[in-house]
Amino acid sequence: MRMLEGRTNAWAGLEDVEALRERARKIRQRTISDLDRYLAEFTAAVEARGAKVRFARTAEEANAYIVDTCRRAGAELVAKSKSMASEEIRVNEALQAAGIRAVECDLGEYILQLANEHPIHIILPAIEKTAADVAELFSVVEGEPVSPQLEELAAAARRQLRKVFFSADVGLTGANFGVAQTGSICLVTNEGNGGLVTSLPKVHIALLGMERLVPTLDDLAVLLQLLPRSATGQKLTSYTRIISGPRREGESDGPEELHIVILDNGRSNLRGGRYEEMLSCIRCGACLNVCPVYRKAGGGAYGPVYSGPMAAVLVPLLVGLERAPALPHASSLCGACTAACPVKIPLHELLLELRKDLVEERVASARERLGFTLWSLAWSRPFLYRLSTSLARLAAPLAGRLGPGLVWTRGRDLPAFARRRFRDLP
Amino acid sequence: MSSLVERFLVNAEAAGFVVHRGEAPEIEGAERSTASYGLADTGSVVLAAGPDEPRARHLLPDVHVSLLSEERILPGLAELFAAVGFDLPSALAIVTGPSRSADIEQRLVVGVHGPREVHVVLLP
Repeated sequence: MRMLEGRTNAWAGLEDVEALRERARKIRQRTISDLDRYLAEFTAAVEARGAKVRFARTAEEANAYIVDTCRRAGAELVAKSKSMASEEIRVNEALQAAGIRAVECDLGEYILQLANEHPIHIILPAIEKTAADVAELFSVVEGEPVSPQLEELAAAARRQLRKVFFSADVGLTGANFGVAQTGSICLVTNEGNGGLVTSLPKVHIALLGMERLVPTLDDLAVLLQLLPRSATGQKLTSYTRIISGPRREGESDGPEELHIVILDNGRSNLRGGRYEEMLSCIRCGACLNVCPVYRKAGGGAYGPVYSGPMAAVLVPLLVGLERAPALPHASSLCGACTAACPVKIPLHELLLELRKDLVEERVASARERLGFTLWSLAWSRPFLYRLSTSLARLAAPLAGRLGPGLVWTRGRDLPAFARRRFRDLP
Repeated sequence: MSSLVERFLVNAEAAGFVVHRGEAPEIEGAERSTASYGLADTGSVVLAAGPDEPRARHLLPDVHVSLLSEERILPGLAELFAAVGFDLPSALAIVTGPSRSADIEQRLVVGVHGPREVHVVLLP
């Protein structure tokens, strides 16, 4: 995999990766454990720079504020740069319902929007689309055939999206980080769309997950050394932009209004509990790229927004275990995600905890719970354990002919049992 | 040449910049900016928005040229933030190479939204 190769090279430039990860982990933990203070500090600093802050408890509140801000700006067209939080609250649908068109300007997201699909990788949203697929989608927009050659496709996207950047009334972005001390937001992109949507439209709305703060610029410097390396294997992305307030006097571009919407939408559920560390996540995607389950199952399997191990932990916590009971099982618990995480979130351990909760909160089916209760009962008693292995040998030929075994053996052979048990060998 | 300038040169070229020394190239249609700082660790140029430096100037043309005084080269992000302090511009762009994307088949393509060609001119 190209992305994995890139990863090793960019890390080679760092002196002590482990120490940096440890620093990053501590910064994130310190922020999360004192989040109210940093949110207050951030809000005051943003307002002092002449921008507005709105705290949204739910997706509905965030969407209502965004739609309202767009309406007050008389907006018909919104240019968006890539933002997972905006996918999470489905702001495009809310805008559409209000008669406002939102166009995704990140190349991958633009492709998906034309195809009317959801992203399946948080860094490479359209990872499963071929150049031919893309050419077909772009041809529809151009009204004439576009060649599937990569440079042609990039040129077509540039042509089509330039019009959007220049005619959009509002630019809508996410934010990789907010800096509490200075009231700044930081946006990292490679294409430059983040820069254009925050420079040309007259209003900029940024959607910031409430946990995505860092206390100071020094802390930002630490995290910026880890985020791009973990996400795309770059030392820095092509464009790292730190925005501190709207356009100032004498400046010829930049938005007249800057609105920062801070999003809770379930994040508070994680605070103060066993899963609080998940709020340290900086959405780099490193855990996806190393996960054997993600690599087999693909991003779509995890649901419409987030994917990979971070989704398997985060989504059940945001929406409730009962609404995502399968996700904690989407892991082999091999721990590759934990080893890859730049802020050292013990992802596979959190998944195990969630599985425990599934049983304790009785989200798991009664049949499943009964099965495992009997199993643990039997295997903690030597006599029953011995009996179970004898029975298993007798029942083995049946296993391939009943229930799930029947489906499993459709494409595979059931391994044969040894004639004698290991314990019966002389 | 100081080791900082040397490191900047190597990393800027690795990031996709064409680096010149002393003389700015004459390129038709190219836009020019004066960089506030350079970062040696990553080969980046830092552009601060202001009355003389519109935010989008480095993004709109096909070819962009940054003028950078060698004495403005810092080691990395930590030193940049220490130098800028609270006196942040409305937008601070840390630019590390041309506009690029790997969104189609994970193959790299340059010049998606921003410039496909970026130059740095080092001034003594």
